[in-house]
Amino acid sequence: MTVPYTRHTLANGLDVIVHEDRRMPLVAVSVWYHVGSKNEVPGRTGLAHLFEHLMFEGSEHQPGGYFGPLQEAGASLNGSTSADRTNYWELVPRSARRLALWMEADRMGWFLPALSEARFENQRAVVLNERRQTYENRPYGLAQFVLMEALFPPDHPYYWPTIGEPADLAAATLEDVRAFFRRYYHPGNASLVIAGDVDTDDVLREVEELFGPIPAGEPVAPLPARVVPPVSRRLLYEDRVELPRLYLAWPSPVLFAPGDAELDLAADLLANGRTSRLYERLIHDRRIAVELAAGQTSRELCGTFQIIATAAPGHTLDELEATIHEEVARFAHDGPTAPEVGRGRVQAETAFALRVQSLGGFGGKADQLNAYNVYLGQPDSFDADLSRYVGATAVTLRDATSAWLDPGRAVALGVVPAGRSELSLTGATAVSVGGGA
Amino acid sequence: MTPRRFDRPGPGAPTPVRFPAIARETLDSGLGIWVVQHAPVPVATITLIVSRGTGDDPVDRHGLASLTGDLLDEGAGDRDAIQLADAFAGLGTQLEVDVGPDATALSVTTLSRVLGPVLALMADVVARPRLAAADFNRVRELRLNRLRQLSRSAATVADRMYVSAVFGTHAYGHGALGTTASLDAITLEDTREFWTRMYASSTATLIVVGDVQADEVVREARRAFGRWVGSIESGPRLTAPDAPPDPRVFLVDRPGAPQAELRLGHLGPPRQTPVYHALVGVNAVLGGQFTSRINRRLREEMGVTYGARTTFDFRRVGGAFSCDSSVDATAAADAVRDVLTEFDLIREGPVPDDELASAKASLTRGYVRNFETGGQIARAVAQIATHGLPDDTFDRFVPAIEAITAEQVQAAAEVFIRPADATIVVVGDAERSREALAAIGRPVVVSAPEF
Repeated sequence: MTVPYTRHTLANGLDVIVHEDRRMPLVAVSVWYHVGSKNEVPGRTGLAHLFEHLMFEGSEHQPGGYFGPLQEAGASLNGSTSADRTNYWELVPRSARRLALWMEADRMGWFLPALSEARFENQRAVVLNERRQTYENRPYGLAQFVLMEALFPPDHPYYWPTIGEPADLAAATLEDVRAFFRRYYHPGNASLVIAGDVDTDDVLREVEELFGPIPAGEPVAPLPARVVPPVSRRLLYEDRVELPRLYLAWPSPVLFAPGDAELDLAADLLANGRTSRLYERLIHDRRIAVELAAGQTSRELCGTFQIIATAAPGHTLDELEATIHEEVARFAHDGPTAPEVGRGRVQAETAFALRVQSLGGFGGKADQLNAYNVYLGQPDSFDADLSRYVGATAVTLRDATSAWLDPGRAVALGVVPAGRSELSLTGATAVSVGGGA
Repeated sequence: MTPRRFDRPGPGAPTPVRFPAIARETLDSGLGIWVVQHAPVPVATITLIVSRGTGDDPVDRHGLASLTGDLLDEGAGDRDAIQLADAFAGLGTQLEVDVGPDATALSVTTLSRVLGPVLALMADVVARPRLAAADFNRVRELRLNRLRQLSRSAATVADRMYVSAVFGTHAYGHGALGTTASLDAITLEDTREFWTRMYASSTATLIVVGDVQADEVVREARRAFGRWVGSIESGPRLTAPDAPPDPRVFLVDRPGAPQAELRLGHLGPPRQTPVYHALVGVNAVLGGQFTSRINRRLREEMGVTYGARTTFDFRRVGGAFSCDSSVDATAAADAVRDVLTEFDLIREGPVPDDELASAKASLTRGYVRNFETGGQIARAVAQIATHGLPDDTFDRFVPAIEAITAEQVQAAAEVFIRPADATIVVVGDAERSREALAAIGRPVVVSAPEF
């Protein structure tokens, strides 16, 4: 599978990638800035994400906010911030292409003049609401924060959550925001994709006109990968929940490194869906768990692998833990069966075919071209990426599992109903979240 | 650089929308086969619509439709639950079962080259489910635990409270999962009877959208579903919801909660309402979009929420209108007042021309985005099947929206936005918000939905 493209780098360093797909009268615009919460410093966590909110509030020549003119032109638009990157996108009818590009150019080049204390205060309040709604007021919503604080040391960029600590958000200043923009939001740290019903030469001319005058910035050196050693920790967190839930977590390969695709496949074979080994044992046969999931989270500095299971009433987290470790160890020793390898392969092939159905939005073709360009320097890496999955064998799956998922060196967290610490994992230490307290 | 560089470009000319043609064939069993050719990628979305849903739950068996739907693929034909999941996975896909108020949808998105085998598996699931005791017991137990888990989700608690307050005892007035008590009452025999009475080829529609040929789909469907024969009465079984408005404040206590989950609204019209397009316009101005009045007020001016939206939940014989948000616990009462004020304002005067033009433009110019993927087209076709809409429904949308006037929007709002009737649900820390909520001037009842 290939997604043909033309890449051109402007004099100011902006990567521009154009993919023509003229079957629908739509154009997807995607801008990635290679900055995320990993670029923050302790004491100012949450700045990258708060900054993303401010990017929708206005720029010098569009001071009235970004949603109005774009929605009126028929756009859908959004943005998101992760530990590694920040992205912005518009999906517009063909005729609104210039508008979408103009808007992205204006906030890339002329953002600061529209920034005001009132906007900053408003969006800081919105972000605090987002944090409370999405994490604090949701069952198990803080578990990931606990896990990251346990897996990583306090000076590792994945120690703190992308949404930020409330105290850090409260301490952030307008000057912090300005400095952040100057440091990270410039053409050389960005990648622009235009995909859809466009003529390549025509759109490249337009991009040159709109983005060309934006001054180049100081290059941003990529942060080096920092894969941490696995640690053995047993933790307890009490929450507003009904049933105790177990989280097992390990550090794992970085994005696109050897073992990354294998662990992604292993997650499915071990614990995702009714065909997985642990579903059959924990939910179907023994009925000791009621919810189950696993995942390899691939990131630039260090991956994380997790298996999550909720105990059925009357069953303990220790029981779940023992069975999961037993099954992981068996997989790490014997490897998957031939039918399992085949199933993983056909599911990957289908998933890659489904991934190119949409031009825009999160996960659309424009977003994926940007991801490959930013992380690999090669926009059309669809085949190379798929070949990692198709090329995985029983041996490589076994080896990746045994190399990374040591049962003796996992972070094991039990989230239990408040006031029911007797439901904890044996030998676990109670923890709170935020600044490692 | 010319000064023109800094003039914001306009939106350009509108993009016309042509919904693709639906090719139709009906098998002798009454099963409708609807095919839309859409071939940008070698993929097909297959949806089987069975025209029965949670609205068909017996009064003392809430959750039966959803439990039955869930059980279908826990063993069917020659395969048990795990073998069936393996069979779908071996084709690179999985089956999704969605049980809604008016219909049940079984869906698969997959490579179009495995259309035949996927249809055969789907036919097993719908026509030859085992509905065996061991699977029933396991799935019911999982659902009982799911209910326990959901009872701690503020958003689910709010939705349950809201739906039961607004629809009352009507068949739309309960959640798909039912309650612990109703699940305890349901027997294996109930699911078998429900399947026998409700899953019939005569009222089902197989929708296939993707890189396929209509004649090939019909041939494969005939082979797979040919033996599935069952006839039941078609058409709506339910009468329109008519619960009297209950404009009280239902306060569900969630001690220590840092946010308050809000729902405000009342009954609404069915999908087939003649003022559908005017109501889409009302919603776009009031709360359907980021730039709508309520989100602007609560998020961009007050900073008390991450987002607030209004929705008309258009169902087959009736519906509901609601505003949903999660707000800062200390701001719940003020947010409720602000929402009610916006409900009032849109009734009291015509929407200013520029605001209406902007709302209409976003609806019409962006409409083409709704039909990009096979999955989107399949969902649109499923609406036609579920609500009995004409085939030109989506082609008529843009001109119909363009034609609505400020007077029509106001007239529709006067009838269908009724702040005085609105039920108010607040899920939050009762101690922190009760007094302020009482000051709104409506009775405050501390309540909790049944789980």
